[in-house]
Amino acid sequence: MSLYQTAVKRPITTALIFVAIAIFGIFSLMKLPIDLYPEIDMDQIMVVTYYAGASASDIENNVTKVLENGLNSVSNLKHITSQSRENVSVVTLEFNYGTDPDVATNDIRDKLDVIKSSLPDNAENPVLFKFSTDDIPILILSVTSQESEPGLYRILTDAVVNPLARINGVGAVSISGIPKRQIMVYCDPYKLSAYNLSVESIASVIGKNNRNIPSGSIDIGSNTYSLRVQQEFTDPSELKNIVISSTGGKNIYLKDVATIKDTLEERTQEAYVNNKKGGIIIIQKQSGANSVSISKQVMSKLPSLEKKLPSDVKLGVIINTSDNIVNTIDSLKETILITFLIVMLVVFIFLGRWRATFIIILTIPISLLASLIYLLASGNTLNIISLSSLSIAIGMVVDDAIVVLENITTHIERGSRPAQASVYATNEVAISIIASTLTMLAVFLPLTMVQGMTGVLFRQLGWTVSIIMLVSLISAMALVPMLCSKMLKLKHKESKFHRVVFGVINRGIESLNNGYAKLLGWAVHHRSLVLSSALVIFLASLFILGPMMKTEFFPAQDNSRVTINIKLPTGTRQDITRALSKRITNDFIRDYPEIEVCNFSEGSANSDNTFASLRDNGTNIISFNIRVVKPAKRKRNLNEICASMRKDLHKYPLIRTFSVMGGQQGGMGGQGSVEIDIYGYDFANTDAVAASVKSKLMSNKSINQVVISRDEYTPEYHVVFNREKLAMNGLDITTASTYLRNRVNGVTASEYREQGDEYDIIVRYAPQFRESLEDIENIIIYNNSGNGVRVRDVADIVENMTPPTIERKDRERVVSVTAMVPTNMALSDLIQIATDDMNSIDLPTGITWDFGGTYEDQQSTYADIITLMLLVLILVFIVMAAEFESLTYPFVIMLSIPFALVGVIMGLVINNTPLSVMSMIGLLMLLGIVVKNGIVLIDYIRLCRERGLGVAHAVVTAGRSRLRPVLMTTLTTVLGMLPLAMGRGEGSEMWRGMGLSVAWGLSISTLVTLVIVPTMYCVFAGNGIKRLRKKELK
Amino acid sequence: MKAIFISYNQAYHEEIIDIMERSQIRGYTYWETVKGKGSFRGEPHLGDHAWPTLNSALLIFADDSLIPSLKAKLKDLDAKSEAMGLRFFTWTIDS
Repeated sequence: MSLYQTAVKRPITTALIFVAIAIFGIFSLMKLPIDLYPEIDMDQIMVVTYYAGASASDIENNVTKVLENGLNSVSNLKHITSQSRENVSVVTLEFNYGTDPDVATNDIRDKLDVIKSSLPDNAENPVLFKFSTDDIPILILSVTSQESEPGLYRILTDAVVNPLARINGVGAVSISGIPKRQIMVYCDPYKLSAYNLSVESIASVIGKNNRNIPSGSIDIGSNTYSLRVQQEFTDPSELKNIVISSTGGKNIYLKDVATIKDTLEERTQEAYVNNKKGGIIIIQKQSGANSVSISKQVMSKLPSLEKKLPSDVKLGVIINTSDNIVNTIDSLKETILITFLIVMLVVFIFLGRWRATFIIILTIPISLLASLIYLLASGNTLNIISLSSLSIAIGMVVDDAIVVLENITTHIERGSRPAQASVYATNEVAISIIASTLTMLAVFLPLTMVQGMTGVLFRQLGWTVSIIMLVSLISAMALVPMLCSKMLKLKHKESKFHRVVFGVINRGIESLNNGYAKLLGWAVHHRSLVLSSALVIFLASLFILGPMMKTEFFPAQDNSRVTINIKLPTGTRQDITRALSKRITNDFIRDYPEIEVCNFSEGSANSDNTFASLRDNGTNIISFNIRVVKPAKRKRNLNEICASMRKDLHKYPLIRTFSVMGGQQGGMGGQGSVEIDIYGYDFANTDAVAASVKSKLMSNKSINQVVISRDEYTPEYHVVFNREKLAMNGLDITTASTYLRNRVNGVTASEYREQGDEYDIIVRYAPQFRESLEDIENIIIYNNSGNGVRVRDVADIVENMTPPTIERKDRERVVSVTAMVPTNMALSDLIQIATDDMNSIDLPTGITWDFGGTYEDQQSTYADIITLMLLVLILVFIVMAAEFESLTYPFVIMLSIPFALVGVIMGLVINNTPLSVMSMIGLLMLLGIVVKNGIVLIDYIRLCRERGLGVAHAVVTAGRSRLRPVLMTTLTTVLGMLPLAMGRGEGSEMWRGMGLSVAWGLSISTLVTLVIVPTMYCVFAGNGIKRLRKKELK
Repeated sequence: MKAIFISYNQAYHEEIIDIMERSQIRGYTYWETVKGKGSFRGEPHLGDHAWPTLNSALLIFADDSLIPSLKAKLKDLDAKSEAMGLRFFTWTIDS
């Protein structure tokens, strides 16, 4: 017994099976986590190797090159880049998307084991860090306070950081901009030398005086007591009265030679929120954890945490990545709902009956919910890709159901009982709906097999749509016949209103039918004219509109977030940096009413703040995090705001370089940029090329940000000790430099403990005694016999320039010039300009260049998609050839595909939207969608011919009879795409391109298909008849 | 004894079995799918791409007295929706 027969015979079972699918689907919908994109496996691993005391070029030669050569053979490697700075080598291995992180890590470990022996003896073991796009902090909180600042670090650690770190999935919580408490012992060098004391001796006395030592136990009487010395400081002021030396019967107290300050560490990264000093708390998630659920948990915990804080401490949110994700997904859900309503309306208008409409519309939620079960079962998320696949599918899932329902209606109208009609009518069309579903699968299943970044994007799309198609096929073959047998009536009553409204609609469709029949009648008798004009349209749009089309990788997403990095000349003092940052903040807040929160941090990061210390930091570097209001509430989009900020930043003379980044960072959804990699060994040559490209690019008025990756030479003071003089004084370099370090940087004498927390006690020169070069020269170094010698007697202080970080890519020195794509250009325009500029430069020998970054990703992804399209075309051809058992029919039908391309080009050019990966996805889907119309037409023409009609007559009859279903399926898909194409919600720029390309491509190709496919059929059929006659004549 | 051969659109099957029961005819021979087309009008029932519908056929041997009412009911059924297709033929046989 066939599926539909069983379904009609056992309505309860059938209904309940679909109810079960729906229930599981709703369950999945509630359980499915939300994310912006499908999960992309980690693609970068960093190998960090410390080699203390080595200069950048030593590091490059002895560590980086060795590592690069060894790691180069790790499989799936895309690029190997490195940075060699003073003391440290950072080698970054970039993998192809979809590489298994565990395998890659193990591979690297194995290679490192081999390499280790070739590294310099003093180099530390290389350390691996796994990084992926996940490592961008998901939440940045601001902390502001008036009075509690000195103890703030501890308060926050206890009350906020630790509870938050316990949340499942949180990777790290770090505090930045809030200095730690330190006990400073500021020594006066003159007094020290007067008493013949040194910083080291003071430190050791403090250390020895701050002790708790258990001394064993004693038995007294019948009891055992433990004995201990409990002499740790209980108050920092106790330090003052420590005796550090006794000369001539007189005690010298610490307070005599030094001042003790219970204060904060001297050099820290400072953070300001809306120009108020405060701190920021950075929350990172573990790799693979879901940002939305984590930030939801964090946000729900915040109010209760805030209650525990002193009343003047306020927590705020600077950046919450999940806001944007949730809003984007919400607006996509809304789009799906609108699509659903539109499709419902179209079906109702065409069918004119509520019951029939209901039966057909029911397949939509059922197939969509079924795909959600798949998403949950396979551990995927609700993201832009999976949800837009749902939105795309809505218009297509009804097609099969419509075909079945129409045939059942025909049978019923002929006089069959609904129950029988349902079975036999479904039987008649089963083969053809299976074939049309197979065509769709031929398009979508190959998507699931793609590798790399394209694969990450397409796998979900492929599976989701394939599953939706399969479920809609099953529902069309089981649920629809069952419902028809129960719900459709032999004769349905029509109300007067119904007759009036649908009378008009039916008359409209009828006159359309007549017009189309006339057009077809004309076309089949003017074949060459029709075909050649079609060719002209195709070529014209390809060669006239084609060059006008721009390309980009991903549309830049407006997530209301701006990041600015500003570099002042190296060595700028922190107070100057701070003053400038404040000025910029004031100016920005005044000039950009869109700004909601403006946070900046400057200064050297503390090494225990992993996130901050991995980023560029220093007293001359400012980083801004700005949140602007939602897109709906402002007139300018994010790119315009960024562009205007860049223009404003050019006005500050103190700024050496800056970069303003809007939106998401990294490959997908970020503002496009063009990276020119200039390879060459010689610093001077590559620097010159980079500088001249930069100036050429900047000479174009609209380009407003070009950044050269290589930093400038850094000025430094080098203390050059004379080894002979040191030796004569009984000293060596190590001793001398330790003395220097202890006085300037300080020595940690001991820990002061209070309520379970430890604070460093630091002994060093008071700030006023280390402010000039003379102060440094006057530092006294003591030898073993206690004789002091001043630095100026054994060393010279010289100013020196340190070479910048040496960057390498694929084992060659590189300097990259990165230009942001301005608002009025697309990626392809900037690539063109950059290529021209590079070609106009006379490159010195040995220097090569190449594009990297977004463009490289775009090129490889586009190449993948084009290969995929060819594969899909072949598969679609095979499926159709098998269905028609003919090689000519599929060819005729596939003629509609070029016009889909025409439609896409027209749509994108008219709407001034660049071709992005998302519109390519649309184009890919079109391959399957547009041939469907052709199949319907050709199938019916063939049927008419088999029923004995002549070629031209068959074509016109078939056209007349199939116009309605073709229009109906096309309208459901095209109108279903409109909400995507016209979306104005948050994040809609991501899928607008896709909606546009499907809507335009399908409309244009349908219009052309309706004329060109029947005409082309006539040509082939006519030739076939001629050939047959010739054979007969022979 | 008379033989009656009924060739009809598959969708009629249950109704015809119903009619037979009401006419007190018990025995029959039934082919679920048969193909064919009428001599004068109506659509062919060939189960192929051009003519996808199929017929079923019944061969009934019954007592002479039962035949007229059966014929009348079948005629009524056919008249209700001619497009479906229903034909029957009777002849006399030796028992």
